[in-house]
Amino acid sequence: MTGQAVSAADITLLPDAGPLITLAYADALHVLMKPGWTVVLVDMVLHEVTRNHTPTSEKLAAWAAAAHIPILPTHTFAHFKSAKSGLAVPKRSNLGELAIQEAMNQCALQTPPRTGVFLFEDHRIARASFLVPDNCRKISTRAFLLFLQQKGWIESAAAIERRAIQAGRAFSPLRFPP
Amino acid sequence: MANTVNFTGAVDRDLLRRAKVIAAKTDTSINALFNAELRFLVETFEAAEAGGNQNFRTLLDFSLGRLNAAQAMAATGIDSDEDLFLLMAQARLPMPRLPDAETHGMVDLLKSLPTA
Repeated sequence: MTGQAVSAADITLLPDAGPLITLAYADALHVLMKPGWTVVLVDMVLHEVTRNHTPTSEKLAAWAAAAHIPILPTHTFAHFKSAKSGLAVPKRSNLGELAIQEAMNQCALQTPPRTGVFLFEDHRIARASFLVPDNCRKISTRAFLLFLQQKGWIESAAAIERRAIQAGRAFSPLRFPP
Repeated sequence: MANTVNFTGAVDRDLLRRAKVIAAKTDTSINALFNAELRFLVETFEAAEAGGNQNFRTLLDFSLGRLNAAQAMAATGIDSDEDLFLLMAQARLPMPRLPDAETHGMVDLLKSLPTA
């Protein structure tokens, strides 16, 4: 977006599944709105965090609906749905990353291109091999929370992380495959 | 504490600061906290290994950044980020962390963007 004034609303914030789960456990999904950026969920990511009944699935679905979060459609999710309805069940392990990559590409192809801030947990940033367009940023949840803290929008980034961990330790409804 | 040895190690500065706060609040020493937590880690690892359960080893490797999430999930038989998060929390292992310098670089990057 060179040569043009960019406003906060022109920035799109797209959280991956990990940050959504962490913030949901910490009861802090609202912090995603603090910078005034447009929060968008990638359809495959939303599916991943709501497809099973988990301690956070209903909370995330309810938050997305109540906050009227726009859902970004991807070919990846469309393929997943159509393949799932047929005989061959698609391999799920990397579909989330494929959908995120698709969202990054969409950001780059928009005219004018939008700045996309993609939120991931640390381990995804360290490992995932995305092709990140110039107008997209790969940011960790921890960095995002520190940013909010330094802006004075939250009291403590560490406290939110701690709340998530404590809530995770309190729950133990793990679902193992049959 | 009988039969102890000294050793030299390195620790994250902020983590040590927080540990000192806990030690002060609980009227104990960093040394005692370190021993308790290291003992928990060692005994949990050994118990899992003795029982033929490799899950703790897998989670520890993930925590240390030696396995990625997909590998950790495949090895533990789970298929969601949330279950991995819960397993790590239950095992009292920290999720993998990026170096602080990288995190602070991302914070600076965010500060360069317009906000409301």
